[in-house]
Amino acid sequence: MSAHRIAAITRRLLQGFRRDRRTLALLFVAPPVILGLLGYMLRNSSVPAVGVANEDSGPLGAVVASALSTSSKISTTAISASDGDARLKDGSIVAYIVFPPDFSQSAQGGVIAPQVHVEGSQPNAAAQALQALQSALGSAASNRPGAVRVQPSITYLYGGPNLDTLDYFGAAAIGLIVFFLVFVVTIVSFLNERSQGTLERLMASPLRRGEIVIGYMIGFTVLALVQSVEVLLFALYVLNVHNQGNVLLIFGIEALMAITAVNLGIFLSMFARTEFQAVQFIPLVIVPQFLLSGILFPVRSEPTWLQYVSNVLPLTYAVNALRDVMLKGADLSWSSLQLDVAVVAAFVIAFVIAGTATLRRRVA
Amino acid sequence: MSEEVAVDVDAISKRFGDIKALDGVSLRVRRGEIYGLLGPNGAGKTTLIRSIVGLLAPDSGTVTVLGQKLPNLDVLRKVGYMTQQAALYPGLSVEENVRFFAAINGVESGVKEALDFVDLYARRGSVVATVSGGMRQRCSLACALVHRPQLLLLDEPTVGVDPQLRVQFWERFRRMAAEGITIIVSSHVMDEAERCQRLGLIQYGRLLAEGSPADVRAQAGTQNLEEAFLRLAGEKES
Repeated sequence: MSAHRIAAITRRLLQGFRRDRRTLALLFVAPPVILGLLGYMLRNSSVPAVGVANEDSGPLGAVVASALSTSSKISTTAISASDGDARLKDGSIVAYIVFPPDFSQSAQGGVIAPQVHVEGSQPNAAAQALQALQSALGSAASNRPGAVRVQPSITYLYGGPNLDTLDYFGAAAIGLIVFFLVFVVTIVSFLNERSQGTLERLMASPLRRGEIVIGYMIGFTVLALVQSVEVLLFALYVLNVHNQGNVLLIFGIEALMAITAVNLGIFLSMFARTEFQAVQFIPLVIVPQFLLSGILFPVRSEPTWLQYVSNVLPLTYAVNALRDVMLKGADLSWSSLQLDVAVVAAFVIAFVIAGTATLRRRVA
Repeated sequence: MSEEVAVDVDAISKRFGDIKALDGVSLRVRRGEIYGLLGPNGAGKTTLIRSIVGLLAPDSGTVTVLGQKLPNLDVLRKVGYMTQQAALYPGLSVEENVRFFAAINGVESGVKEALDFVDLYARRGSVVATVSGGMRQRCSLACALVHRPQLLLLDEPTVGVDPQLRVQFWERFRRMAAEGITIIVSSHVMDEAERCQRLGLIQYGRLLAEGSPADVRAQAGTQNLEEAFLRLAGEKES
């Protein structure tokens, strides 16, 4: 191994990127745009609109309707029951609730029977409307004189009542974005080396295979680290994603993911002949990891056989590590974090060896 | 001319699936010689050159380069290789490309000389993606010889090069050979073959004939190399 030759490869790679504005934009403009969109959508999305028709001749309908109007899960508008179906059809509401004329009366007889009409093609929105109705009914019932009050006292081991969806996804997203973009750029540039014929030239030089792979790895890692810093600062200080852990530790995990992506990209580029084929690795390699690494659904909630698959994906461990640090304040004394970091590091080593081995040449 | 052997190819064969790319080829190239590999597309010229730079392992036979039997990584330091397409980094300048190939061969100096040699010093700052095909070929040649190799392998170096530049290239090859550098050049252009000191005619992975251009013409009993090639190729086929 010659440090000079490795440095030559690294320098060449970075010199090339200096003039490649499009790739630089992908690496450094895309992440804040993607994260920014995610943040905006998760924090500023509007709640489903629900119509409320109160035809109750007694007092209860008004009480529940007013409880509904204070719900954070839905926004309510007063409508008349006869308009309901038309408004469901034109899409201005996802559900409407009717308190029939005998609502209070039958409640006294022990049956609380609001009528709920649901548009039905948007399961999430309907579920939110039903939840809001349940809690409005609950609060109306507990406000009745002499009623039993339900007041659970809640304590949080981690996070707190203010933790939102963006905090949960943001922690994983900063890792995913770095992993995905670095992977794409690495696989395509290494493939360029092959298709433009320069790899053949490198192979006919005194360079060793390991020097090529390590030179590339260092070059991309430099770019990936700059990107990781950018993504982290954006997530923490622009999006205000919840963080309870050490920022340097988060950066370390991100960096490890970036190095994994670099080496996975180098390794897989050996199996593609054109850029088009390289891009085909995205649905094969990135999408399953996105679905199975616990970013969207906790690994433990998956069917058992899928958990086995999740457990051999590097992203699973990286996402878990990022969430442990950011949401639970984990540090390196936690055995779960040690395991996650060790597994990701092991993937790096495995991909370096695999990448070097697949760089075929007789003379070595 | 020294009698020292720079390249000794001994009975090498190479198969790609059902195709016999090389079929027991033996040849010796002396130091300071310009040796031309002549043959139609798909004859096995590139496979032979790739075997000499160690990119391909022959199925049988041996290749000895500058006294070292391949595979041998160290001997590659003394070998320059110009691939068929101008294999360069399009995003780098002319000078950055040459400097890079110098660096991976462990050389710091010689960049200016190499650029002067191909008349590109004035254009050294141009980005390769923006320069003409002929300039790319010249830059590619500069990359192949910046580390002052003792053996230079040129795979169809003048494809797509205009006649004027072609003459310049050959002028340069001759100067290098005079300094003791061995050059193996593949071509399918017959007037280039005339400029080589010795020729090997290749078809179907076999060496049909070998010798100076005059020898080859005499062997075939023809006035020019083109006819000689066609006649010799026809004889082998029948």
